[in-house]
Amino acid sequence: MTLASSRREFLRRAGITAAAAGIPGALLASRAAAAPPPGARSIVCIYQRGGCDALNLLVPYEDKDYLAARPTLSMQLAGGLVDLDGDFALHPSLRGLMPFWESKQLAPIVCVGSPHPTRSHFAAQDYMEYAALAMPSMRQGWLNRYLAISAGEEKVDFRSMAMQEILPRSLRGDFPVLAVPTKMDNRRGTLTLERFERFYGKDENDGMGGTPEPAGAGAGDAMDVRPDENAAVVMSGKQTLETLKRFQEITSAGRESRVRYPETSFGGRMRSIAKVLKAGVGLEVAGIDYGGWDHHIQEGGVEGDFANKLQDLGGTVAALAEDLGPQLDDVLILVMTEFGRTVRENGNNGTDHGRGGLMLALGGGVRGGQVHGDWRGLKDGVLADGRDLSVTTDFRDVMAACLQGTFDFKPPRDFFPDYKPGKFRLFS
Amino acid sequence: MHLVIHRAPFLSLLVVAAAALAPRAAAQAVEDQSAPLTERERAVHLLSRFAYGARPGEIDRVLAMGVDAWLDAQFEPAQLADAALQGRLSEFESLKFTAADLEGVYRRPLRPDATDEERREYNRKTRIPRTELLNSVVLRAVASERQLLEVMSDFWRNHLNVSYTKGRQIDTFLTPYERDVVQANALGSFPEMLAASAHHPAMLIYLDNYLSRRPPTNAELNKVKRAAEARTGSRAQAIQAVALAEQNGLNENYARELLELHTLGVDNGYSQRDVVALAEALTGWSFDRGNKCSFRFRNDMHQHGDRRVLGRRFSDNSSDGRNQGEAILAYLGAHKGTAEFIATKLVRYLVNDEPPAALVAEVAKTYARSDGDVRAMLRTIVASEDFWARRNFRAKFKTPWEFVVSALRATGARVDDPEELLRRLTDMGQPLYHCDDPTGWYDTAYAWLDPGVLAQRWQFALDLAEGRIKGVTLPEDLFDDIPEGAPPRSWQVHLTEKVVPGGAGTRTRDALTSLMDEYLVDARVPDLHRVGPQLLGMLIGSPEFQRQ
Repeated sequence: MTLASSRREFLRRAGITAAAAGIPGALLASRAAAAPPPGARSIVCIYQRGGCDALNLLVPYEDKDYLAARPTLSMQLAGGLVDLDGDFALHPSLRGLMPFWESKQLAPIVCVGSPHPTRSHFAAQDYMEYAALAMPSMRQGWLNRYLAISAGEEKVDFRSMAMQEILPRSLRGDFPVLAVPTKMDNRRGTLTLERFERFYGKDENDGMGGTPEPAGAGAGDAMDVRPDENAAVVMSGKQTLETLKRFQEITSAGRESRVRYPETSFGGRMRSIAKVLKAGVGLEVAGIDYGGWDHHIQEGGVEGDFANKLQDLGGTVAALAEDLGPQLDDVLILVMTEFGRTVRENGNNGTDHGRGGLMLALGGGVRGGQVHGDWRGLKDGVLADGRDLSVTTDFRDVMAACLQGTFDFKPPRDFFPDYKPGKFRLFS
Repeated sequence: MHLVIHRAPFLSLLVVAAAALAPRAAAQAVEDQSAPLTERERAVHLLSRFAYGARPGEIDRVLAMGVDAWLDAQFEPAQLADAALQGRLSEFESLKFTAADLEGVYRRPLRPDATDEERREYNRKTRIPRTELLNSVVLRAVASERQLLEVMSDFWRNHLNVSYTKGRQIDTFLTPYERDVVQANALGSFPEMLAASAHHPAMLIYLDNYLSRRPPTNAELNKVKRAAEARTGSRAQAIQAVALAEQNGLNENYARELLELHTLGVDNGYSQRDVVALAEALTGWSFDRGNKCSFRFRNDMHQHGDRRVLGRRFSDNSSDGRNQGEAILAYLGAHKGTAEFIATKLVRYLVNDEPPAALVAEVAKTYARSDGDVRAMLRTIVASEDFWARRNFRAKFKTPWEFVVSALRATGARVDDPEELLRRLTDMGQPLYHCDDPTGWYDTAYAWLDPGVLAQRWQFALDLAEGRIKGVTLPEDLFDDIPEGAPPRSWQVHLTEKVVPGGAGTRTRDALTSLMDEYLVDARVPDLHRVGPQLLGMLIGSPEFQRQ
């Protein structure tokens, strides 16, 4: 019943215990011969927490039902919408992404979401990031599962990191992923790390050396320290030191990029991710959250809170894509959220929790320049529960496509428990 | 205290000797795995599980009064003098108020023509209850003599989690929730605590049950349609209003968590049909949003009908559907599955991340025998061999909360303003009373030992020791128990004993020694007050201090 044992159980069922133990047998089985060398290709996974309003990000501006449903929130071409294909247009704040549409590197995916009808942030994020609806006890995220299963014998420096204090659920699990504590990124932080190398760095003994403090506290007390009782903490500390120091080395080396990122926390964090990607140290998966998309009130249209957040998000993604240059072909930028929002605006110039949402895929060889997914319009009859975009693409279809398309990694059976692959093609 | 001072010179000699003896000692340590805990270790263990760690001198005090006497006192918190803390808490006026009072005092609506000045004052006042509640929880954990009450309060706070992240509406209710649900029952009866939470507006809001109602009748929908048409003159708008009204209905959120998180545990013998039946039984459990701000059963929102939950039939009374929910709650509180689930979580929290099955079974038996009496279950745990087994000594990885509170206690820090502490907890990923997930914060190493997280703890450790945490002061006499004239190389031993009373391993000792070596190269006159904080910070960031 414990988390640890349920995870083992999962790995066993998926036939991948060997890989989790660091033995490459299963790796060979699941990674195709033609797979790219480890670290040559990457996914940057951006999670919009709170349920981003898909309909005002990618706007079906020709649809009369859209205008009718949103008296105060709707936008039109005249208001600055950026037309993509005559049916859909990007929010004006996302103008910076237009070049990537034109170069056929930007692929929006409409009506994507969860097979589970929950409208709870917590449950929807859980279902999505663990991607194990049939197995609620699963506590290893879908990206971490990929990392654990594909881990080879060769030591790769820096396979995964999250640019925030605590890992997103998609990256939690057996495979050690660095959560970069952003506030440590200064001189004082560096001094702190140096100081603690004494405890956690250096020797090869991994904290196994425990001799008693003979005097301890009481006369004659044998204050023993069990050989392994510090091991987990010391190991985590070692990983913290090694990866953080490496991270600081990487991000302080090389030329500063000339690309201008938004002067925001998100922009700054993404700039760091770009540096690591460009350093070619084997980063395969980077995770980063963007919170605050739960616009129940005062969402705004062309202007307002939603527009400001999109400006930051879109500007940052565009900067990353530009910064990567030709490397963008090997880096998939994936933007996702737990659900979309109600088609109709509510009484507070906002929208409430819905079902079908939107993902954006950029770079990494996606078939861009076209809108993916099955769009059925906004007529009452086709809406989920008469109010939300229906989910016509299972988020696991997208995840599977991204793992395959990026890493040539075909998720083994039960990688997504109880999942039947759907027809969905994102890569050529 | 006296003992420490007299022993000090002797200890410093032993440190030198220890280096020579180290290899043999290591071998001995392995052999001693099964050795029972020493008296002193027992005190350390008890203070790190039934309290947030020892304050300076506390181990000696517990040893002097005896472990049993200390426990007995903790089991009767009301009898335990705690005047200093109570004095400080009395500054927080909002803690005493009912939800209705809180609304009246801090949320009195503004007039539409209020001035900017009045609006600012309003905004300032609305924040007071939250600030005072969070501050009080920190202060109590750090400074209360009633440590077991505090340790258990945190357990139930997570077990029956509610959170400020739900939004403004819940704010007012968290102060009374902490006081009347958590604190009042933390060492009492679990079924009573469960019932208190089920009737509390904080929980009803947090898990949306106050919105849960029977589906609207056709007559009601027609009424909505006519009203909307009359108001807007638009048929489309009227259809929209009806669609919205149809959405109003059963909300399973609370019923599901009540089974999954509060009583039986996930997948423990209930089905989706049980969830729906329970949700239906609880329709109408709402609260009065008017003056009283308290629980109110709304029979008009209740979905009437007899129903089966967990294989048992619960009848309904058409004139008052409340008793059906009450009966199911009582049934759940007495359920074997609940006893097992609570026992598992308690043993995991107080003994080991992998709870020993035999002890869980014992505690579950106690639950059944005592109708879920928390003290009885704690007594079973503390009377067990498992609890005192060496393999469970320092076997738990501290959560960020436990780390911060125990560091403040170990150093005897005075907290005047917890703002900065609360920020640090947020940086470490555990903001107090802001756990969005109904699971509450996890208490296992699995949830907290990500690579990277220790960096924040190290920074906190150094900042605390060097007096860089705003609002927190270390005592001036922090190093006074190290006798004047004690050789500088013995300082680390004194400080280790203070901060890591369970003892430190070679790695930590060597690290401190090397720090001291470097210091002594440059320092002409070794100054305890310069190097002491450095040693202290290192100890708080040491692997040993991350465990309890």
